Amino acid sequence: MNAHRVAVTGMGLVSPFGGDADDFFHHLLAGDSAIGFLRTDDVPRPMAIPFAGLPTFDPQTHFDKMLLSTVDRFAQIGLAAALAAWRDAGWSIAASDESREHWGVIWGTALGGVLTLDKSYRDLWQNGRQRLSPLSVVLGMNNAANAHISIQLGLGGPSICHSVACASSALAIGEAFRRVRSGESTLMIAGGSEAPQAYSVLRAWEALRVLAHADEETAAGACRPFGADRDGLVLGEGGAALVLENWQHARSRGARIHAEMIGYGSSCDHDHLVRPNRDGQVRALRLALADAGLSPDEVDYVNAHGTATAEGDPIECQALQAVFGERAARLPVSATKAAHGHLLGAAGALEALITVLALRERAIPPTAHLRSIDPECAGVDHVTRARSGQRLRAALSNSFAFGGSNAVLVFHAGGQ
Amino acid sequence: MDSLFLIREFLCDRLGVAAEKIVPETMLDAVGVDSLLILELMFDFEERFGIVLSKGLPPPRTVGEMAKLMDGLRNAQSN
Repeated sequence: MNAHRVAVTGMGLVSPFGGDADDFFHHLLAGDSAIGFLRTDDVPRPMAIPFAGLPTFDPQTHFDKMLLSTVDRFAQIGLAAALAAWRDAGWSIAASDESREHWGVIWGTALGGVLTLDKSYRDLWQNGRQRLSPLSVVLGMNNAANAHISIQLGLGGPSICHSVACASSALAIGEAFRRVRSGESTLMIAGGSEAPQAYSVLRAWEALRVLAHADEETAAGACRPFGADRDGLVLGEGGAALVLENWQHARSRGARIHAEMIGYGSSCDHDHLVRPNRDGQVRALRLALADAGLSPDEVDYVNAHGTATAEGDPIECQALQAVFGERAARLPVSATKAAHGHLLGAAGALEALITVLALRERAIPPTAHLRSIDPECAGVDHVTRARSGQRLRAALSNSFAFGGSNAVLVFHAGGQ
Repeated sequence: MDSLFLIREFLCDRLGVAAEKIVPETMLDAVGVDSLLILELMFDFEERFGIVLSKGLPPPRTVGEMAKLMDGLRNAQSN
């Protein structure tokens, strides 16, 4: 197999802060939180939880009514993120001279069109309706986002959806990377999107007893990964996308290259449905480093999975120590979910985007609200305040999912 | 409320088609109403008027054909 270098030429997201990727990153460096408070009107027990929403995202400013009538919110967010990444890569929505017949999209989502399904159940069982709109099927399907992305951008290559819980979009990016590196594709767009605020989903997560507790006043600081005072994760909605492109192709068209993607490792704990496993994570980390041809000493930042759950955070720190050995104590690690919440299937894509920005901007965003590190999470260099002017060569983005699936992405600052 | 009014309301409010484009001669596919959205329009029609359209109906091509089809069914099913 001839390995081709893979350039990240486009980044896009729907930011919970309302701006673009650069603005989003500045907020992260400042330690700002996008976590708000969600109140539902469900009867008889409305939900009131900390939640990272997209208060400024207005789909009607992105898409016309015709398109919106066939797109669920998770796919609206995904399509908006993908189009932003596409434009960032310097492409127009409509093809000009280039052929897109072999370019594709790989997308990740854990829950897909669950808001449509939730509404359907309400209509049938609560509102007394006897049938549903024929659009319910295409609104609710998990591959709706990648289908719309392919259609809007005229991509004739593979259009694939990965649904692997919280590792969905990390795996999507990893698998897209492999296609470009192998030469099978010249260009792939990859990412993920999620809109999990369906009543049934929120109640299900509540039942797992892993959600952070906070009121409206304290919601912004509710997610505290690695903290001694952490008490759970905060769900969020959002989406992000990367354009992965053959390096020579990118260079020849004069594209701006944000970073280079150099490795990907995936594994399964094969142990327990929800309890994370150190050895499974170690396998994914080592596979990713080997795939990238890196030694542990060459990694300068890890964007951790770090959800702020009691069990997950210590296991991830143990896995990093096992892989990085003595280097671990000097390995900068941060969990940005403290600022943007847990986007479930979209988390890996958003955090990959942050990792690329960290390399490009030579700055590490902190784990916001981390005041007192849990001794069980010790052993790595926790970044509690933004670090600018860093010499960052390579960085990892970790994603670990219920079901035991693990994915680690490796990016490099990239020489020309 | 006649069928043409309902079609115009659906196309304008739900799909954002300019009102002046919606005349009987308008080709549905020319204003973006594909087979999927025709199904949705027919569903909307059924919900409003409490009737069921036959699955074997030939797909209308124009706004006028659709209005005529719907008017005919409403009259047939109300008699």
